[in-house]
Amino acid sequence: MCSKRIHAAWFGTHFFLLTAVCLGGVFWLIAQGATILPSVCNEYARKAELGATWCLGKEAGASNPLRRAIATYLHAAGIQAGYSFFAPNVPSHHRLTLELFHDDGRVEYESPHARSKAAALRLDSLLDKLPEERYEPVREVVLKMLAFSVWREHPDVKRIRATLETVHLPSITDFEHGKAETIQPMFSFDFSLRGEKQQ
Amino acid sequence: MRLNPLHRAWQRFLGFLFPSESDMWLTVFRIGLGLQVTLYALFLRSDWHYLFASSGKGLVGRELGEAITSFDSPVIPKLGWLIAVGRNLNMSEETMLTVAWVGLLSAGCLLLLGLLSRPAAIVAWLVHLCAAESGGLLAYGADNFMTTALFYLMLSPLPDRYSFDHWVTKTKPKNPQALGFWRRVLQVQLCFVYFIGGVGKLLGNGWWDGSNLWRALIRPPFNLVPPDLLIRFKYALPLLGISICLIEVSYSIFIWIKKTRLIWLVCILAMHVAIGLLMGLYLFALVMIVMNVAAFGVPCTSKRAQGTSGRIE
Repeated sequence: MCSKRIHAAWFGTHFFLLTAVCLGGVFWLIAQGATILPSVCNEYARKAELGATWCLGKEAGASNPLRRAIATYLHAAGIQAGYSFFAPNVPSHHRLTLELFHDDGRVEYESPHARSKAAALRLDSLLDKLPEERYEPVREVVLKMLAFSVWREHPDVKRIRATLETVHLPSITDFEHGKAETIQPMFSFDFSLRGEKQQ
Repeated sequence: MRLNPLHRAWQRFLGFLFPSESDMWLTVFRIGLGLQVTLYALFLRSDWHYLFASSGKGLVGRELGEAITSFDSPVIPKLGWLIAVGRNLNMSEETMLTVAWVGLLSAGCLLLLGLLSRPAAIVAWLVHLCAAESGGLLAYGADNFMTTALFYLMLSPLPDRYSFDHWVTKTKPKNPQALGFWRRVLQVQLCFVYFIGGVGKLLGNGWWDGSNLWRALIRPPFNLVPPDLLIRFKYALPLLGISICLIEVSYSIFIWIKKTRLIWLVCILAMHVAIGLLMGLYLFALVMIVMNVAAFGVPCTSKRAQGTSGRIE
C-alpha cells in the first residue's frame, strides 16, 4: 500500500507539472494574440500563463534550488516543452543566406549544410527558432557559428554577410495563380576576421 | 465495512492507476524504442561529430546549447560531462563523442534484443538526453518524445517475458499491477499530448480552412509532395484539417471507450504514418506509433494478469 501511495504521489506530481507546462504553452499562444480568440482574452491569458509558470518555479530566482530541481526533472522526463506543434498555425519557413566576399572581389552564395537529412532537419529547426524573441540574445552568436562552419570550407573568404530570411509561402489560391514564395530579410550580420557588426 | 466517499474515490483512483496487465505492451514498447534509438543513431551517424563538436569544429558548437541548458539548471546531463570524463582519462573529444554514439547504438540494439534491458534503457535515455540537451537549439519535437518514452521505459518493470534477459536468467514474472501502472502513465501522457496539441490547433484559423495543412506540406523541408499534386485535393484539405483537430482533442475520451478505441487508434496511427511519409518526419512518426501501439494497441489485460494480484515491487 505504501508503495502504491508513493507511485500515486509521483503520478500526481508528474502530471501536475505536465499540466502546468502544457497550459503555460497554450496561454502563451493566446497571450501573443496568435489565435482566433478575441483580443480581450490576451490579457487574461498572460495572467494565466504567469500562474502556470509560477507552478513551475520560473518566477523564483535563477539559482533557486526548487526551480532548478523542477527544471532538471522536466528536462529528464522530456516534458519541458508543451505539445503545440504547428499550433495555432504553421509558422513561416526561414533560411539563411551567406554572402562570401573574396579578396579578389568575387561574391559567392552559400548556406550552412549537413550531410544527412536528419541533421538538415535539425538545422532547419534551428533557423526557425532564431526569429523568436527568446532567442534574441543568442541570435548573433548562432549566426556567427553557422557562418564560421561555412568559412572553414572557404578559408580564402575575407568577409561573410549572413542574412536570415523569412520565406512566405503562397496560399492555395496564390499558387493556382502562379505566384511563388516571397522572401523577406529579417536580420543581417557582417562577419570578418577582424570583428563583426550588425547592419 | 462502509467506506466514506473520499476513501471510495481514493480506492477507485488506485484501481485506475494500478490495473493488472500482462507485459505484452512492455515488449512492444521495448522493441519499438530499441528500433527508434537504433535508427536515431544511424540517421545521425555521418553528422554526429559535426552536430556535437565544440565551437569552431562543428555546426554551431556544443557549448552554446549546453550554456542555454545550464541556465535552466546546471545539473541537467549533457555531452560536455562525458567529454570532461574522457579528458581526465586522456581521451580526446572526438573519441568521447564516438563512444557516446557507439553507446547509443549498442543500447538500441540491446533493447531490440532484450539483452541487459534495464541498463540498456538507462544508457539510451542518458546518452539521448545528453545529445538532446547539448544540441538544444537543434532539437525538435521527436527528441522530447524520445526522452519521455525512454524515461518511462527505464522506470518500467523490465525485463519482459519475451526478452533475452528472461530467457537467460529465468526471472520471475513482474507484478501485473506495476506493469499496469506504467502502462497507465504512458496512456495518460498520450492523452495530454493529443488534447493540448488539438486545442492549440483549434485556436488557429488555418486548421479550419485547410491552409495550415497546405502550408505544412509545402513548407521546406517537409515538402516531399509536389504542390501540383496537392492542389488536386484542395477541397479535402479543410475537412482533413478539422478532422485532425477533432481526432486529437477527442482522443483523450474515445480512446478509453472500448467500442471507439480501435477507430481512434487507427486514425491516430494513420495520421502519424502520413506525417512520416508525406513530411519526412520518420523518427517523430515512429516514436509516436510505438507509444500509441504500446499504450492502447496491445490487448488490455491477460487472464493470467487478472488472476494475479500483489504489491508493487
